[in-house]
Amino acid sequence: KPLPTFQPSHLSLSLSTLTDLIGSAVIRWRGDMFSFVSPCAAPALAVTGPGLLPQPDQEDGLEEQPPGLFDGFLWMAAPKKRRTIEVNRTRRRADSKLLKVKNNIEPCPECGHLKQKHILCGFCYAKVCKETSMIRQQIKAAEGGPLRAPTVETVVLYEGETPSEQDKDKRIVERSRKRPAWFS
Amino acid sequence: MRLTLQALISHGRVARKMGLGPESRINMLRNILTGLVRHERIETTQARADEVRFYAEKLVDYAKKGDTDEKAMKMANFWLTEKDLIPKLFKVLAPRFENQSNGYTRMARLPNRQNLDRAKMAVLEYKGNPFPPLYPVKKENELSLINQLLKGYREERAQQLADKA
Repeated sequence: KPLPTFQPSHLSLSLSTLTDLIGSAVIRWRGDMFSFVSPCAAPALAVTGPGLLPQPDQEDGLEEQPPGLFDGFLWMAAPKKRRTIEVNRTRRRADSKLLKVKNNIEPCPECGHLKQKHILCGFCYAKVCKETSMIRQQIKAAEGGPLRAPTVETVVLYEGETPSEQDKDKRIVERSRKRPAWFS
Repeated sequence: MRLTLQALISHGRVARKMGLGPESRINMLRNILTGLVRHERIETTQARADEVRFYAEKLVDYAKKGDTDEKAMKMANFWLTEKDLIPKLFKVLAPRFENQSNGYTRMARLPNRQNLDRAKMAVLEYKGNPFPPLYPVKKENELSLINQLLKGYREERAQQLADKA
């Protein structure tokens, strides 16, 4: 059996029925208060119900807006869609991200180690460095202390070499080994 | 109409910035130059070597004026922090380069430094130093086959010309 349905429509008070009940009194609705004004009395007395008195600085309502688009943490950049593998591949394999091929590598004609064309061979320079450090050790022993640079040129002589005509005014540094082939 | 500040763009600016500022840069270059005058061959980063090269050559130009010149002595005194190098500059380096007008230094690039920074390195030297040369001098070998054949050809040509005459 269907239950008797409750129909509240005929119980609700519409404005027209309210006016009929109260009679010919005019009901005005202003904001949050009722005011009854009877049309018979000459000096109209507006009786206002208890309600909030108007505040002079009630401007918060005007300025209260929902948080703007740029406030809060909900507006932040986020990816909309998953990046597909094709898009990822084109980005990862872009020409600027691939390793560049160097075509300026060649073998050193002296030692055969690889070197770049515009850069000295590392092996040959290490050889030269070792010999210069040995020469500098001899110079240090000859000078005997710091800040004693001589005011004459220096010449390096190896075993069995005698100073030549050009070397007569120079300071002689002796190295106790045979002259290497790469030091003319 | 220029819409951006000149100070924010550095297009075409060739002067390098080094160290903490211009004064720090000059102090750093002065130390490197003193080391170069003392040891005549030094190894630094490429940028520093390139900057010091200009000052090294200018210093030799000042030294060529002679040690009686007031300006030259002031320059040498400023640039060489170790004062035993001032006589070396005027008596060794200036006479060494008296026949050249420019190009007293040689700079060669080295393989990058083996540290974490992999900095570009260069070796800077005054020409005429007593150390072994950086670039090996290529010696022609008289006993190689091609040289022997060319020698024979030259002798034959000389003989033919002598026979004609």
